[in-house]
Amino acid sequence: MSNTPPATTAGPLLETEGLGRRFGGLSAVEDVSIGVRRGEIRAVIGPNGAGKTTLVGMICGRVRPSAGRVRFEGRDVTGVPAWKRVAAGIVYTFQVTSIYGTLAVRDNVALAAQRRLMGSPGAWLRLDEAALAARVEGALHTLGLDVHRDRRAGDLPYGHQRLLEVAMGLALEPRLLILDEPTQGLAEHEIETFCERVRDVASRATVMLIEHNMKVVLRLATRITVMDRGRVIADGDPASVEADPEVQRAYLGRR
Amino acid sequence: MTEPRGRVLALHLGVIAALFAAQFVLSEYHHTNVARIMVLAAYALGYNLLLGYTGLMSLGHAMFFAAGMYGAGLSIYYLGFGAFAGFGLGVLAAAGLAALFGLFALRTTGVSFLIVTMMFGQACYLAILYFNEITLGDQGFILSGRLPEALVEPGVKYNVALAVFAVCFLVSLGIVRSPLGRVLVAIRENEERTRLLGYDTWACKLLALVVSGAMAGAAGAAYALLFSYVGASFAAILHSIYPLLWTLLGGAGTTVGPLLGTGLMFYLVDVTSGWTSAWLFVVGGALLVLVLFFPLGIMGAVRARLAPWLP
Repeated sequence: MSNTPPATTAGPLLETEGLGRRFGGLSAVEDVSIGVRRGEIRAVIGPNGAGKTTLVGMICGRVRPSAGRVRFEGRDVTGVPAWKRVAAGIVYTFQVTSIYGTLAVRDNVALAAQRRLMGSPGAWLRLDEAALAARVEGALHTLGLDVHRDRRAGDLPYGHQRLLEVAMGLALEPRLLILDEPTQGLAEHEIETFCERVRDVASRATVMLIEHNMKVVLRLATRITVMDRGRVIADGDPASVEADPEVQRAYLGRR
Repeated sequence: MTEPRGRVLALHLGVIAALFAAQFVLSEYHHTNVARIMVLAAYALGYNLLLGYTGLMSLGHAMFFAAGMYGAGLSIYYLGFGAFAGFGLGVLAAAGLAALFGLFALRTTGVSFLIVTMMFGQACYLAILYFNEITLGDQGFILSGRLPEALVEPGVKYNVALAVFAVCFLVSLGIVRSPLGRVLVAIRENEERTRLLGYDTWACKLLALVVSGAMAGAAGAAYALLFSYVGASFAAILHSIYPLLWTLLGGAGTTVGPLLGTGLMFYLVDVTSGWTSAWLFVVGGALLVLVLFFPLGIMGAVRARLAPWLP
């Protein structure tokens, strides 16, 4: 039939091509070519220093690649600054919790939510406060943070700060949400809740998850990319990755 | 959300109304002082927008004050500009200088930014002295005789000063309470985070710097018009330190703080210099007390303890 889908939905949501980054003589990431499809929960795993954070840093624009290209929805975004990639839908949540500690929980989320309402120059001076509040409440509710909305963000327990970080990401209405070690430092029962929240999020956005906790990875991931010493050594569905002998040697075997 | 909004507006309009009413009760001496304080407070308001809300500390703001002062003064002195045109040119000169300066200086942050502002500020000061033949910088020059008669009237002076202050006061309130103001505070608290929320933090900082410079320039131009004197001493580093002290004393990151800090410091110097030639000792002591007991400044402490709704 002549009814072909538009080019932007045909290919993968995110594609990297020969992506690499050197720091002096050290090659942190080398020749990474991966594709992430819409609706996936993609886990990126690998031992410490494998280059996971550097890789997603290049995807979201925090780190400038020394080789290769990043394409998002078919568009080359390699030279696009980080803040513009957010507008395109690439949202990164920090490995080390990075919230506005002195502001209220609600104001933290509002700063993320208002970004989406500030399309016109006039909105920088005045915007629809009711629409803003609705978005903030929505994001707080999804992460179960409603009751804490008026607290100082810095006073929240660590687990809740991690959730707030995700709520801020969510309020940006991401198309690709990158979570960098989101469960690090969470207690066992918090991890349970967290996994449920991420599933919720995944119904609306594609998720990229850097994670050390294999239980979380196996529960959530629809596809896994394994990195070691800057390179991708395996890429596939959870079962085949688990069975891969090189993965077992390089990563799982060391644990 | 709506209830403090009314209170905030009432407070700010009340401050302006009180300053307007004060001219009818003040003695001649204090009348002149308050006019001067209002002009200098406009300078502090601009400074506060950058330090208090955007988190950028400058030690070169005197160059913007001087750009306003010389923009107005030179155009009136040499080109026969009227008071309004001179004032407008002064504000434009300061805003333009701030934009140009920002293109270079905003590549740095924190302490490096502080040092770059200081170096640029000193360069401007020395440039004014170097081009002495044009600027008459070392002696200074007076504008009397070249300005409208009316500007000699104390009542007119007072109300012009009030108008300049009121505009800067309401503009800074408007910015602080707008979505833009919230982004500026976010940059102050955590710039990297703010960039990753999709904000062009560099452009926001440049805008804050230009508005801040324009307010400093408006104060400088008004100073030249109202007090009739233009001189290089206003570009010296001491004049960059003053707005920092006024802002810290009154409360950085509060809208009312700069006025309060400027007024208090002005009278502190005024009163103590009447007692002793060692008045800087007294001023220094007062600042020590402030830093030890009110690190947030006066309005900062009021907001923290009594009135959290203050902007």
